[in-house]
Amino acid sequence: MLLVISFLIFLGIELMPGDAVDFMIPPDALALISPAELDQLRSELGLDDPFLVRYVTWITNMAKGDFGYSLQSGVAVSTLLSNTLPATLELSVAALVISTLLGSLLGVVSALNKGRIGDNVLTVAGMIGVAIPQFLFGLIMIVLFVFNLQWLPVGGRMTPGSEGFFQRIDHLILPAIVLGLSMTAGVMRYSRSSMLDSLNKEFIKTARSKGIPEWRVNLVHGLRVAMTPVAVLIGFRLPMLIGGSVVIEQVFQWPGVGQMFVAAVRSQNTPIIMMVAFFSVLIVLVASILVDIATALLDPRVKLS
Amino acid sequence: MGSKTLQRKMDKLLALEEQGKLQSSNTSRSLRKLMANPLAIIGLVLFVVMFLACMGAPLISTYGPNAIDLRNRLSPPGEGHLLGTDQIGRDIFTRILYGGRISIFVGLGSALGAALIGVSLGTYAGYRRGMLDATVMKVSEIMMSFPQIILVSILVTIVGQSLWNLLLIFILTGWPSMYRMARSQMLSIREQEYIQALQAFGIGGFTISFKHMLPNAIGPIFVNITLSTAMFILQEAALSFLGLGVPLEQATWGNILNVAQDLNILRNAWWVWLPVGLVITIFVMAINFIGDGLRDAADPTQVG
Repeated sequence: MLLVISFLIFLGIELMPGDAVDFMIPPDALALISPAELDQLRSELGLDDPFLVRYVTWITNMAKGDFGYSLQSGVAVSTLLSNTLPATLELSVAALVISTLLGSLLGVVSALNKGRIGDNVLTVAGMIGVAIPQFLFGLIMIVLFVFNLQWLPVGGRMTPGSEGFFQRIDHLILPAIVLGLSMTAGVMRYSRSSMLDSLNKEFIKTARSKGIPEWRVNLVHGLRVAMTPVAVLIGFRLPMLIGGSVVIEQVFQWPGVGQMFVAAVRSQNTPIIMMVAFFSVLIVLVASILVDIATALLDPRVKLS
Repeated sequence: MGSKTLQRKMDKLLALEEQGKLQSSNTSRSLRKLMANPLAIIGLVLFVVMFLACMGAPLISTYGPNAIDLRNRLSPPGEGHLLGTDQIGRDIFTRILYGGRISIFVGLGSALGAALIGVSLGTYAGYRRGMLDATVMKVSEIMMSFPQIILVSILVTIVGQSLWNLLLIFILTGWPSMYRMARSQMLSIREQEYIQALQAFGIGGFTISFKHMLPNAIGPIFVNITLSTAMFILQEAALSFLGLGVPLEQATWGNILNVAQDLNILRNAWWVWLPVGLVITIFVMAINFIGDGLRDAADPTQVG
């Protein structure tokens, strides 16, 4: 599967207009170089080889950990990735934690108050949350908290000169909350219906008839069953998280993989596009395998095949 | 929900049906349920109003979408310009109307195009199973393992930025989910007895799947089309915000928002980006309301 996808990505890049040489040479220098020299450069770089040969070279290089070089700066893609990945991970993990905790909490609260005012308010908030573009939400938050209230700094990952995680946490708060909240609505909806589902089960009636206090029935007996599918859902939200962080990183000028990706797409920096695409697919595939395993572990009715 | 009121309702309906005042056909019942859903009505009204306003843009606004008024650059909302002007003096209100045309077109067109491909493949492959189904399934699996925005950005780089290319890309990346939905519907329908009867009559696969099975799956398909329309509109906005959508010269909702990347405009000229953002949100919400209403009307098992 991964091989097929890597081939497709390579094919896709192949179809992009222009090649590496076109981008390596600045336009003003192009006049000084003869077409023959250009051809020589191409064959030195192996760009003349047949398509399949280049694909095999590329894939074997990658297996060795050589991901190619940025066409603009000449820096190894692996270096670029290791520079940007921590920032993205920091943001994604924070957003994932926020959306999971808040989403399941609000969902359960909503389910326990079904039909009452709290449930309705949360449902309406969820509807707005699904419909508002992520970046617009980010922009509104920037205007509110950065410009008007001036509580938080704008953009970037740290103020120059600051060190350590806690000194730059103020930069993380806003993007993480925006990305987290924008994913909360979906989780909330899901955990609400999951909780309602589990509260309708027979064992809840049994628990009640045994005289267990209502809060214990809800929180111990109901919640445990309801949260299993919600936990599994985390895996399915990974593609969304990757997509969301691409947009949010752009809004907040967060120096992560997403921002690098957008810049690479704009300047057709193919090695970077390839790598980001490849890794994001890898993450999604690994996550879906983990989801299968987790489901099998948590739910005895499901068997791994 | 009191069961007594429900019973009384049912009795009333039965009485009406007996008098022949109500058609008991499935579609009209769904329609009635849709019309009884206040959120769906609100959604429908908002959708129609905004749709008509955008389509009738030249009637509503006297400005052109790209007409430049250099004396009034970045002027706040007020007389002359209802929602103010942007940094080169174009009327924001007019641009929102004209931008809506493109944005709605992209959203609706992509959803319909994706549905056309996905549903027709899913209908036939879901009925036939076998090689065709396995192959298309694998292809859709591969496409769906890309995070949407990454796949779309790569395709944008390959084919270049233009309105039609964007539409094409959305269709290309959107059909797999439609395919899966249609296929799973077909898989459950094909187990029903009337399909066996049709097969016994020697009716061809195309006729069975498209004429006799597809109509029974039309509810979920409509729901999916509405919800995808909303999704594509949001995606167009996000892509245009990143500068990868429809070329900037053309007004779309996303392109109008694009200028909000400029911190100065973001800070001092709210009328440039906030109204269009609200318009997108409200429009998407309206479509979602319609979609949810359709789902509740078409599928009685899902409540809440």
